[in-house]
Amino acid sequence: MNPKTPVRIAVVGFGPVAARLIEELLPPVRSGQVLLTVIGAETVPAYNRVLVADLGVGRTTADAIGLADAGELRAAGVNVLLGTTVRRIDRPRRMLELDNGTWAPYDRLVLATGARAVVPTLTGLNPDPAALHLLPPGVTALRDLGDAARLREAVDGGGHVIVLGGGILGIEAALAAAEEGARVTLVHHGDRPLARNIDNGGGRTLARALRSAGINLISGARSTGVSFRPQAGGRHRFDALELEDGRRIGGDLLLLSCGVRPRTGLAEGAGLPVAAGIVVNHRLAADTEGTIFAIGDCAEVRCGDSSCRSCAGAGGPAGLIGPGWRQAEWLARHLIREAGPQAADDVAPLPELAAEKPAVMLLKARNVDMASAGTIDAELWDDDEAVPCTDGCGGVVPPRRVAQWADPEHGRYAKLVTRGGLLEGLVCVGMPRTAAELVLLYERGSELPADRTALFRLDAAEQLPDFSGPADPDSVLCRCTGATLGQVEAAVAGGCSSAGAVGEQTRAGTGCGGCRARITELIKSRLEAAVTGAP
Amino acid sequence: MATNTHCPYCALQCAMRLAPAGRIAVPAGAASGAGDSSAGTALEASGRDFPTNRGGLCRKGWTSPALLNSPERLTAPLLRGPDGVLRPIGWDEALDRAADAVRAAWERHGTDAVGVFGSGGLTNEKAYQLGKFARLALRTPRIDYNGRFCMSSAAAAGNRAFGLDRGLPFPLADLDHAHTVLLLGSNVADTMPPFVAHLQGARDAGGLIVVDPRRSATAALTGGGAGLHLQPTPGTDMALLLGIAHVVVHEGLADQDFVQRRTDGYRPLVRSLNAWWPERVQSVTGVPAELVRETARRLAEGVRSARAGLSAGGTYILTGRGVEQHVDGTDTATAAINLSLLLGLPGSSHSGYGTLTGQGNGQGGREHGQKSDQLPGYRKITDPAAREHVAAVWGVAPEQLPGPGLPAVELLKSLGRPGGVRCLFVHGSNIAVSSPDAGAVLAGLRSLDFLVVADFVLSETAAEADLVLPVLQWAEEEGTMTNLEGRVIRRRRAVDPPEGARSELWIMRELAARLQAPSTFSDDPETVFEELRLASAGGLADYSGIGYAQLEHDDAPAYWPFPAGSAGTPRLFLKAFAHPDGRAKLTPVSPGVPAEQLHRAGELILTTGRLLEHYQSGAQTRRVAELSSAQPEPRLQLHPATALPLGIGDGDMAEISNGRGTVRARAELTTAVRPDTVFLPFHFPGEQSANLLTQAATDPVSGMPEFKTSAVRVRVLEKAGIL
Repeated sequence: MNPKTPVRIAVVGFGPVAARLIEELLPPVRSGQVLLTVIGAETVPAYNRVLVADLGVGRTTADAIGLADAGELRAAGVNVLLGTTVRRIDRPRRMLELDNGTWAPYDRLVLATGARAVVPTLTGLNPDPAALHLLPPGVTALRDLGDAARLREAVDGGGHVIVLGGGILGIEAALAAAEEGARVTLVHHGDRPLARNIDNGGGRTLARALRSAGINLISGARSTGVSFRPQAGGRHRFDALELEDGRRIGGDLLLLSCGVRPRTGLAEGAGLPVAAGIVVNHRLAADTEGTIFAIGDCAEVRCGDSSCRSCAGAGGPAGLIGPGWRQAEWLARHLIREAGPQAADDVAPLPELAAEKPAVMLLKARNVDMASAGTIDAELWDDDEAVPCTDGCGGVVPPRRVAQWADPEHGRYAKLVTRGGLLEGLVCVGMPRTAAELVLLYERGSELPADRTALFRLDAAEQLPDFSGPADPDSVLCRCTGATLGQVEAAVAGGCSSAGAVGEQTRAGTGCGGCRARITELIKSRLEAAVTGAP
Repeated sequence: MATNTHCPYCALQCAMRLAPAGRIAVPAGAASGAGDSSAGTALEASGRDFPTNRGGLCRKGWTSPALLNSPERLTAPLLRGPDGVLRPIGWDEALDRAADAVRAAWERHGTDAVGVFGSGGLTNEKAYQLGKFARLALRTPRIDYNGRFCMSSAAAAGNRAFGLDRGLPFPLADLDHAHTVLLLGSNVADTMPPFVAHLQGARDAGGLIVVDPRRSATAALTGGGAGLHLQPTPGTDMALLLGIAHVVVHEGLADQDFVQRRTDGYRPLVRSLNAWWPERVQSVTGVPAELVRETARRLAEGVRSARAGLSAGGTYILTGRGVEQHVDGTDTATAAINLSLLLGLPGSSHSGYGTLTGQGNGQGGREHGQKSDQLPGYRKITDPAAREHVAAVWGVAPEQLPGPGLPAVELLKSLGRPGGVRCLFVHGSNIAVSSPDAGAVLAGLRSLDFLVVADFVLSETAAEADLVLPVLQWAEEEGTMTNLEGRVIRRRRAVDPPEGARSELWIMRELAARLQAPSTFSDDPETVFEELRLASAGGLADYSGIGYAQLEHDDAPAYWPFPAGSAGTPRLFLKAFAHPDGRAKLTPVSPGVPAEQLHRAGELILTTGRLLEHYQSGAQTRRVAELSSAQPEPRLQLHPATALPLGIGDGDMAEISNGRGTVRARAELTTAVRPDTVFLPFHFPGEQSANLLTQAATDPVSGMPEFKTSAVRVRVLEKAGIL
């Protein structure tokens, strides 16, 4: 068989998802089957965006969060272009026009352009996405290394950080900054933080936890504008966040955490379908030919089939890294098969990428513990009934049931929404072990124990064995040797006055030595009984 | 006359004294088990002071002499007649039949049709000579051993990272002063109880951290403020280790100076760890993120305490079979080593990484040529220089040495198959019970043309044999063992063997003569050891400076590598690691796909393990009345919340099954296991054999089978109390 000509693959974007794809593609790059070009807008290669908040509060270093090394990739044969953007895609010619005016050809194009922070409509801020990098001094998003540096400056200077947005990323940033010593105010407009991902009980428990972590929490606040103060020799600097009710929250840094929006411009310009994100099918293809793919935060998996069940439940891009990495791994396998030595017709297509379950939200924080997933709006006494199955299976859909544990005084709350014993949703605050188990059960789709208290008790204080009660002489005192309490008592009664002597006679205490203290106690109480004349 | 020797069982090799019966008081009731096989015991054992066991013994050791004159002891070779019955025959006939079978296999199917399955229970002398016997007398590359089921993953990981594999690269007593000990997948409180005394320092410092899906006896040692118990769901140990290492890197707890001076591969490792932040680890393992962080900080604190010169200082990370017996066991052990290297533990005088070797001579047994890819001295059989050296010691041409053979699971899969093994010799191993997918192994044994088993009782494997050769027990022979520290110790003869039993060295000598093998085969252990010294000289596991005379005295410990003219090596890597450039290698690893799909509806994860009272397949301990009456049958541990919907009560008979087999066991309801997990000990045969359910999928690097995660269904068979 003739060796195929190498496949030219271009990846636009160099974030965590692109990094995973590139890593997986390295073997065919090394063997010459693939010519890989990666084009990143940032001047550094991929880093783990999940850890940007940690970086912003000084808990980690830029060095430690890197996910790729440009030098190593180049040594492996990858064409790495950093600080470079793509102006447009020329689909008929399969070429990319770069911002320096040069052209890069491709056989397969992967768009991994990610998402950008949303700038809310506030007086004083320019909401145009193109102006994101022009945010005034003292105002920042929290997406990239530059943002992290701005947060770091405020935290290190003991400044007052105002976080705008009650989503998970805002809460995480607020908690991290507060733990590292910053004064933090969290402003959000729902009646509870994390309103979209948590129920009322969980939200209230979480709000208390945030307050006790030192965060000044301002709920139900509608912010309207930003005011500035003049700064020597330059632009005006952030002064205060203005609320609809007239309050002004003054601070040193306004951290915008108002969600993200997929970067779809390039795809739109090339006439590819775009909804919330770049629309791709279950094989991650954005075009019908399977030439252009999109993965990660910029991609929205939605096939053309209106009856498709996995699309029906899905919203826009997940915005989480797990699904993006799974997409990258799937796409790498697909591209490797295409580039492989076998003719395309001889290769069985890869099974479609499995649909993602609704994501689990785990709060990344040190002292506040929160997990939520799935359907959480059901309430304890909801009158749900079993209904016949709609897809003709002939069975019934069992009713939805809720079990709950709430202990506001101690900051503990758990809600389990189940159907037929399987978790459909969960909320858990302040119960880390319970949360960890619930998330496993949810992700696996495993049946819950009928005794739900087995789950609620996981964070209970340790139950220590109690040796104080009367013990059976036949009970084993020394696990290692099998010597019984009766044997040891007999030895003590027979005159053994040290643990060593008891061991010689009964073997007790000669294994791990863990029961020697108890043997000594038996000897002691025997001696005391002898002195006091007690039996 | 008392004899100073060591226990026959595990790798702790507790020092013991054997004396004629009556010299040591027997505890009341201890010898009154059913069958009472110890009634005529000729010897009694007692603990002897030694740095590893400090005079301690567990129940297995105390009762070990009971088997010496057990009525089940084999005292004549047994040959299977045309009627299928095993009958005693004389030694000459037995050896002739074995040699005939070898020649028949050679002629019909080629020399590769003969195989040998050895053991980590054999002395160094026997293990060494068995490797030589396979390659020169049987002329086959196909030798491997049960250590493949035991130490292979940790060994592969140690070789990869350090360039050398010695279970503990430091004396065990070094643990005594530790501030923090992280013990992963090892239940020492049951498997080697006297070991626990070495954990007392860390417990007193609140720093014993045990990772086990079960609240095992060892995990329970962390209670009362003595430390932490992390309870990951089975098969997720690697993710947990990656998470701990992630925290070490990101919280600045790594020893950057050590990493720069003594390791390679830091940058790619950090990039790979990046993906494993604690919350992600929590969602995979079920271990709360905060405990992941706390563990990392505690590990670093131990190192700091040592640097500050505190009396409790230093951090040790120790792995056991629980994390190693997986299809990703090598990578999991590598993750533990990476964590150790980030913290700067290996090669320091106050801290370290080690793997706890299991079998009595699991260390020595993996060094001297029982492995399919290995020659004595831990040499590679594919290395031309190694072949030349060993061939010269053996007085043969290098071309006379076969190449690499098949690792254990592949070897066993090949039994009776075209191109596979047709005539098998088994020494010191009970593969019918201890192998993964034991039902398939049993079928393989039955499909052989000829099976020879050397054992001293009729084990389940011996019961399948065409020819059974009765051999010596530990107290009847001389030799050396290498304990879990890499310390070579003397096993001594305390009693004469029964008439009719023969040493395996003698059997090899006799068979080699019948097969006209080149080189020499001695039946004298010291002569064989002298040859081993030469064969190992210059290898990684160099024994050339060790002699029987030196081993007479416990106060001159012999830790390998011990080149002639040196004083041995109690602590490895103090100056350099064993790679040619002297640096340790950090290798990024990440969890792969499990060996079979887990967590399907109605299924539980079976994990297997050990009981205090039994050793390995139980061939020995099930025949000791005191032990078998204490633990006569396996019990299936399951969580009460799991048992409830299954209608299983404590003491009910349960059936545990999957596509590979079905096991019956009495249920023991306990909150010590996770609700998604059930536990079975694997010491029992027949329909009680846990390994009927385990799978023969193996680690691509080490060949280790997946013992620790099997998908099973459980149902109630019979309620307790119903007759």
